[in-house]
Amino acid sequence: MKHILVIDDAATVRLYHRNILETAGYSVSEAINGIEALEKALVKSYDLYVVDVNMPKLDGYGFLKEFRRHEDITQAPAIMVSTEAGTHDKALGYAAGANLYLTKPIKPNELLSYTRLLLGDVA
Amino acid sequence: MAIVKNQTPHIQCVNHDERIAERDFEGLVEELNSDNPTERRWAVRDLTKMPEASSTLVARLKFEDDASVRAAILNALAYLGDNVAIAGLVSCLRSEDAALRNEAIEVLKEAPEGVEPIINNLLNDADSDVRIFAVNILESLRHNNVEQWLINVIEKDPHVNVCATALDLLSEVGTEHSIPALKQLKIRFVSEPYIGFSVDLALKRIEEGSH
Amino acid sequence: MSSTITISDEDFLKFKEYFYRKTGIIFDYSKRYFVDKRLIERIEATESENFRSYFNMLRFEASGNELQSLVNTMTVNETYFFREEYQFKCLVNSLLDEITRKKTDKSPIRIWSVPSSSGEEPYSIAIYLLEHWAGIEEWDVEIMSSDIDTEIIAQAKQGHYSARSVQHLPKTFLAKYFHYQDDGYQICDELRAAVEFSRVNIMEPSEVRAYRNMDIIFCRNLLIYFDDAARRQVAEMFFDAMKAGGFVCLGHSESMSRISSLFRVRKFPEAIVYQKPWEA
Repeated sequence: MKHILVIDDAATVRLYHRNILETAGYSVSEAINGIEALEKALVKSYDLYVVDVNMPKLDGYGFLKEFRRHEDITQAPAIMVSTEAGTHDKALGYAAGANLYLTKPIKPNELLSYTRLLLGDVA
Repeated sequence: MAIVKNQTPHIQCVNHDERIAERDFEGLVEELNSDNPTERRWAVRDLTKMPEASSTLVARLKFEDDASVRAAILNALAYLGDNVAIAGLVSCLRSEDAALRNEAIEVLKEAPEGVEPIINNLLNDADSDVRIFAVNILESLRHNNVEQWLINVIEKDPHVNVCATALDLLSEVGTEHSIPALKQLKIRFVSEPYIGFSVDLALKRIEEGSH
Repeated sequence: MSSTITISDEDFLKFKEYFYRKTGIIFDYSKRYFVDKRLIERIEATESENFRSYFNMLRFEASGNELQSLVNTMTVNETYFFREEYQFKCLVNSLLDEITRKKTDKSPIRIWSVPSSSGEEPYSIAIYLLEHWAGIEEWDVEIMSSDIDTEIIAQAKQGHYSARSVQHLPKTFLAKYFHYQDDGYQICDELRAAVEFSRVNIMEPSEVRAYRNMDIIFCRNLLIYFDDAARRQVAEMFFDAMKAGGFVCLGHSESMSRISSLFRVRKFPEAIVYQKPWEA
């Protein structure tokens, strides 16, 4: 079973993503900010990261930059999820190492189809 | 070689007030411009004990690029907590620097008295990002009016992500008072599955908690 | 009298999310009985009507005292020799090697253990260094240990322990470094002399200022009892007290992710530790 790490400081968002992804057969873990996400990614490698942008301590950009720097963790794909829809924000997201940038609020099918695409699970 | 005792003279505790007296305000302000981040951090710490320091610290915060000095300034402003300090922290919410914004939000969360008079303005700011940050501040604010502020947001704010941020918090602090506004919000954003999900969650928690 | 207070599923989830956000501790469903029981204890102790009124107080009380009481109830803080031994393994197998590799002189390596409590942690570090680190032949190490409580420091300096406190020590070490005395175990003078104990309030910058150039700080299971502002302040104090490239070891349920972004997350085979960055 493929394992996804959902990183968001909002508990409701984590639960929402978890429900969508678990229903589709993925296993889901959660982290509340970028530092906790790094700690988890260093201990266990995930197949995909769903990363919020604005979070305390270490935000989504910071997480991805640091994460991509680590040679000892698998360079799994990352979906960045943000309330900001501007092109500048998107550029920052891709520069930090995101494979895809989505704007909140997210529809279940949107999250699921991109997840499948990035994980090569297209039926 | 072995385990050894500290060779330097025994660690001494310097009397606090004496040390501050040696470091006058002018001198500390000068040290705030030192090239050495450690010296700047200590200048910030000593300035924390001086009530007139807020404006100097706010000014420095704007162009301080060392993360550890910034952290010290933010803590100092939280400790000082006067109008100048709070206004300085609030101005960080408009910064392009995401890390600075997030740090300012964290510090403001811990200043209920300072935040109370300004939160309405922030929640009604023209910039939806600032409104989201204002809701973020409410997240850990120990203030009795938090639920009412959140209700006001979900009743009136036109931006879906501002409402979504408020909803996340209402599923934690909401009571029966929130129920009408929650139901109304679900209708207002009927095409957004995330809002539907969050409203249902908040309602479920409120209803189960009242039994 | 049996309690009539109950915790519903949604109450549990709400509490679980809040507690996770504040402390980083996750209670899954397998802990449900444990959590409910302790929550009900606190609800009764505070004479709250039900979960909701208790949670409201927990959430909004200006002092934050009830959150601290709840943390005390939910965590067991017992100190004993070789507690959380994986970190000592990390110390001798990974951290010290990295530190000695990067050192440019032969000055002593400095390790600071706070809080000292009754001394089990700093003495465990000393035993570990002597028994498990070959580098001790080549390098000098200073072990400092501090606490805010002068009575507990006196006890630590004395070094007399119960059977319970030494139960996780290998028997050979117990025989080598302790002798049985007055219904307990007395640590030997060699180890007593190896640790420098001092009183310090880590919340007071003027007191911490004297502690400089640390290579490694152990601060385990203390910050969880502090509020957010205090934790941040302590993290900053540590940052100042350390050399660039130095390491902070926290307790198993603690993480810098709730405290500060000043440190880098480092993974070693035995543990996750936090490092003061090399560059400014």
